[in-house]
Amino acid sequence: MADLVGANGQRENFRIVGKPNTPGKLSYALATGIAKFGIDYVVPNMLHAKFLRSPYANAKVVSVDVTKAKAIPGVVDIVTWEDEDIKNLNSFGESFGPKRPWLDNYAEHEGAEVAVIVVAENEDICEEALRQLDLDWEVRPHLIDIKEGRKQDAPVIREPANEIPGLGGPGMGGGNPPRKGNVTYSNLVAGDIEAGFHEADHVIEYDLYLPPFACRFPNPSGSVAWWSDDFYAGEGRSLHIEGAVRERKAISNMYRMPLEKTVQEGLFMGGKYCDWGLRKSQEITPLLAKRTGRPVRCVNTREESFDFIMKERYMHMKVGFKDSGLITAVDDYSIADGGVEGSSSFGTSGDQRYGPYNTLKCQNIRQRMEIVDSNRGKMYVSGQHCPFNWDSGTMAVYLIAEELNRDPIDIARINLHGPTSQSDPTPVPSFEACVEEGKKLMNWSWHKAGTKRLPDSRLHGMSFRYQMCPRHAFSGYESKLELRDGVVHMATQGPIFGVFAVECNAMVVAEELGLEYDDISIDFDYREKFSPVGGGADGTTASAWVTKECANILKQRILEAVIEEADNPAPPSMFSFGQPQVPSPFKGLKPEDLDMADGKVFVKAEPSKGVPLAQAVKRNLFATYSGMPPLALWTQGMGRMLDTMNTAYCEVAVDTETGEVEILKLGVVADPGKIMRLTSLESQIDQVMYFSQGCQLLEDFCYDERTGVKLNNNMIDYKIPTMLDVPDVDRHFLESRAGNAAYGASGISHSLANTHLIIIAIHNAIGVWVDPPATPDKILEALGKV
Amino acid sequence: MNEVKTEKLGEAWPSVEVRYTHETTQVMAAEVIEKIPPLLTEFRCAYCERVFGSLSELQAHYTSEHPDAVVPRIITLHINSRYCQVLVEPHWTLKRTLQYRLGLTGTKEMCDKGVCGSCTVIMDGRPILSCTTLAVECEGKDIQTIEGIAAELKNKPLIDAYCKWDAMQCGYCTPGFLVTAKALLDKFPEPTEEQIKEALSGNICSCGTYPRHITAIMEASEKMRQGA
Repeated sequence: MADLVGANGQRENFRIVGKPNTPGKLSYALATGIAKFGIDYVVPNMLHAKFLRSPYANAKVVSVDVTKAKAIPGVVDIVTWEDEDIKNLNSFGESFGPKRPWLDNYAEHEGAEVAVIVVAENEDICEEALRQLDLDWEVRPHLIDIKEGRKQDAPVIREPANEIPGLGGPGMGGGNPPRKGNVTYSNLVAGDIEAGFHEADHVIEYDLYLPPFACRFPNPSGSVAWWSDDFYAGEGRSLHIEGAVRERKAISNMYRMPLEKTVQEGLFMGGKYCDWGLRKSQEITPLLAKRTGRPVRCVNTREESFDFIMKERYMHMKVGFKDSGLITAVDDYSIADGGVEGSSSFGTSGDQRYGPYNTLKCQNIRQRMEIVDSNRGKMYVSGQHCPFNWDSGTMAVYLIAEELNRDPIDIARINLHGPTSQSDPTPVPSFEACVEEGKKLMNWSWHKAGTKRLPDSRLHGMSFRYQMCPRHAFSGYESKLELRDGVVHMATQGPIFGVFAVECNAMVVAEELGLEYDDISIDFDYREKFSPVGGGADGTTASAWVTKECANILKQRILEAVIEEADNPAPPSMFSFGQPQVPSPFKGLKPEDLDMADGKVFVKAEPSKGVPLAQAVKRNLFATYSGMPPLALWTQGMGRMLDTMNTAYCEVAVDTETGEVEILKLGVVADPGKIMRLTSLESQIDQVMYFSQGCQLLEDFCYDERTGVKLNNNMIDYKIPTMLDVPDVDRHFLESRAGNAAYGASGISHSLANTHLIIIAIHNAIGVWVDPPATPDKILEALGKV
Repeated sequence: MNEVKTEKLGEAWPSVEVRYTHETTQVMAAEVIEKIPPLLTEFRCAYCERVFGSLSELQAHYTSEHPDAVVPRIITLHINSRYCQVLVEPHWTLKRTLQYRLGLTGTKEMCDKGVCGSCTVIMDGRPILSCTTLAVECEGKDIQTIEGIAAELKNKPLIDAYCKWDAMQCGYCTPGFLVTAKALLDKFPEPTEEQIKEALSGNICSCGTYPRHITAIMEASEKMRQGA
């Protein structure tokens, strides 16, 4: 598509955009600990709050007596689900599925907030008060094993479903079988599956296990809120909250507060990894602060922070293909964890509609999913790894290659449709360029499974995957730039979460106005409308497109003002002291005769005639732009048309005596369309590859199935990669300029997140499948050695 | 609880332009340290928020009003080259004390189990985990937090390198890494890549910035040696 309609979309020379090592505008605050995150706030007279957490996986609080707890010195307030204040609460945060009461007496997983909130002078007193509650529990049968839960004789764990369809909620496909027991069905059929298999020369069947994966917020979720009088926003009290996520609108709506009287000034949000759901600890503090008349802090412990960033799924795949390797039919059957009520449909039916097979020429696709209610836990919205069934296709490519003794890159090439449609047989230039560089990067030399032994006797394995970049930026952006006292200011709201989006936008402004990156002043103000994020990396490139338009409007206004001031110089003032005025070199010219570079306004025909920006124009100028770039191809078919692509590679060595896997090399060749900020692009790719490594080699969510209690919701037992675990990621970037956003950028977004790149490499080494996480014991078991 | 005023309520509007540079953050860090009072002047009951003029009065109050409660005690800490009296209960961790008593919020809490390194401070020259260290054990020790490191000009190359190389994404764990890096450089001014990996292996970054730290520390090491 490329950036054909935007100003300077086809720019050839870049001074700033794409440059490495431009420090983040807030990096010094982060590195020095000056940055305050929500849970760091300590305000005078602050109280603390804690939720009652269910010790049971599925239970109801029948009654509670708070008398003893209330009598504890230091307990200030106790609120129960029966309190009118609680009944009146509604969440406006991003969430999926049917709406439950904000807090009730029903706990659907161990550790769930339920029934009671205690407010006290400190957290120790809160905990003591929770211990002193007299609770009458009705413990119900629970369900942790979703394969058991789908059986006819399994106990039904949820009361008849509140069939209010949420955004993308399960069972919305239409024509699905009715819900049965714990199972909701979601089936999608395209083409003629039977004809596809009939056409096939070969049929393969395989199983995949997609493991559950915990959200990994570095800063535990929580907030501090207080109410105060202020004279800026008119009469009535203002709500000040720190630690709520992203935009404060959700809190403003929840408490029916005008947005201008809802304050969230903190600039630092912590890592989100696309998990945008507001936790109760982030929503409750305004109510408790109002009830007590004092600031209230409520923060989840680390143990209380182990929600899902992706849920468990078992898949069985059947794929038909021709002797050429061309896939003719895909039959995808899965049993997915539906989690507790209100869990995100990303991870279940949302993934089905995300186009997992849309990059294929094959159009005979059947997806059947059984979504099983469980008491395992909650996935709030989305996550780093969603959609995560893309690797079902990666495995198909690999297995076809194995069957036909062909290179999987060739199999991928045969099956990838062309740029314009699934019927387009022409190659995708971005894909071709990626694999060409990828082969060089990896010194690619394919071998069949279990056939290559390294000199140290370990088995060698390798793998490959490709993806298109999903684009989520459908919304518009409102950019505002200001030339104030000779300095260009870019206004933006916080808080930030680590993708350096503000910086990308500032680089674009500097590029377009002929300034240096450091010349752009970023005015962080929570009241601003503009936010440079929204929808993954593509959100940044889309906002940068809008900012580019705005910068060019400002540039035009600057040049017009320069000419106007040159032709109409201000009369000498009393402070001129009789000194002669120097005539402007721009007098008599037109705006189109001028340009901007090196911090100066200059005459195009005579570049030596230049004046520093601050001297060339004295007045203050504003420019605004509201809009969005042309929609990305992905939004018009989710992979049925293709522009920018990316590829990832892995090489492992497996010790068959110890079961240890060493990643010898992770490689990524990616085409983000145009590199905007090199250092953070590299770092984001490291991040997603290490996320994926953790998922495939280390991370495991364990339960006691007898009680439904989570066993490893702490950072000792739930392992994530450390510096000693991760390999370097070899990266190579291409700039096809084929994206829809600024300068043809598209971003990478979730596309490199994977669940089976390393798992496939392990199979290629040892010739047998090991489900993730591929820990040494599982590898030895797969090899029949234990 | 006697909390330090790290924020003044309702006074933050309207927001003012702050540019975070090495110079401004150095000043801010020094100001945070400067705000810590050396002597306690008020003694607040943890249960009823009553304030007393001396520890003995507070103790008498506990005896009469909260006989079953643990009585707080005064300890003297030496933090960032300053002595300060702190009122703590015996089970308080150093991390909790830094945040709630001293306003030193650069020391972060992630795991609360001594696993992630986000709460790292330097004690007597060694990096330690403040979430698993009791405050009462820290008397007589020399403690340096991220604020103390940030306030010293000699650490500029390290902080500059962290910012130049984006050795952070969300930045929550970054102070813990930087404190560990400082302790490493104090011990090994010219560390090898393996020494860096080993030293930082107890610091967890969910954003996966690991390779960035190696690059930044290597560069800082060279610049610090050149400047020494």
